[in-house]
Amino acid sequence: MVELTDWELDKFKRQIQIAGFGEEAQRKLKASSALVTRLGGLGGPTALWLAAAGVGRMIVADGGDVTPSNLNRQILMRGDGVGKPRAPQAAETLKRFNPDLEVVAHSANASESNAPEWVSQVDIVCDTSPDFRERLILNAECWRQGKPLIDGGMNAMEAQLTAIVPPHTPCLQCLVPEVPDWWDPKGFGVMGAFSGSLGALTALEAIKVLTGYGQPLLGRLLVYDGEDMSFDTYDIHKRADCPVCGG
Amino acid sequence: MGVYIKLPTPLRRHAEGAKSLEVSAGTVGDALAALCERYPGLRDPLYDGEGKIKSFVRVFVGGKDVAELDGTGTPLSDGDQVSIVPPVAGA
Ligand SMILES: [Zn+2]
Repeated sequence: MVELTDWELDKFKRQIQIAGFGEEAQRKLKASSALVTRLGGLGGPTALWLAAAGVGRMIVADGGDVTPSNLNRQILMRGDGVGKPRAPQAAETLKRFNPDLEVVAHSANASESNAPEWVSQVDIVCDTSPDFRERLILNAECWRQGKPLIDGGMNAMEAQLTAIVPPHTPCLQCLVPEVPDWWDPKGFGVMGAFSGSLGALTALEAIKVLTGYGQPLLGRLLVYDGEDMSFDTYDIHKRADCPVCGG
Repeated sequence: MGVYIKLPTPLRRHAEGAKSLEVSAGTVGDALAALCERYPGLRDPLYDGEGKIKSFVRVFVGGKDVAELDGTGTPLSDGDQVSIVPPVAGA
């Protein structure tokens, strides 16, 4: 197990102080690595909170360039970075916040060709893509490699989150056996404070799974509503006919 | 018997923006039928061509997936909440 330096013990003392977390969990975070795919209103805050928590190494990936309408929520980007690729800006912001972080940036979205390699290089994946197909590719790859996947998604002021841990929980394909025919990734509005709340919770679930702290959303789907602040959790189950997890 | 149906954000536009509504029904199937009777625009997003609930639409009663109970035949009691939860991938 890696050791914590005096600087790290000081930097992380307020979370080490949390009952049940402690130095052992902090060491596990330092030794761990995470992949965050897409760096928008959800993935950006996810990556930032993982960096802040002391995850040792991160791969961040996004194939797009910053547009003006990204800047109400994509907090890793810069106001003067419009028209430039997202991934290097995200890596720079993360590194500025946590210089101890080792971060690799890919200016590409996850696909069948890059997912096997990316997933093999990390301990956990946070997938925050607006594209169901991209999410399902990562789900299948995580399942093949036995890597946990934190899946958060939202629509306007409604969010969903679950922790997928092979082979114990249902997989994403169980929840999405086919892509909803009426899904429109740009058919709804997004408030940065709301997508950011889901990013924070996505990072928290990843931290819990990586360290063993608390009770992650295993076999449970959190659904919450930023308009009326109702939070519900639902039991979810494997599908007997799931082609990915085998039910 | 009055039960409450909670509609997800993407489907509310087919129900005049309603987030939750009360219907009279003794089973989950009856509740969804009553919902679609009131808002026929919900039939297409909820049901496939064979009249079955689409594979990606989950229906929960009291936090439990009705697929693990008696499906559309799952009985409802007065005041139960039926939640319709399709997946979302916004980011
Ligand atoms: Zn599955």
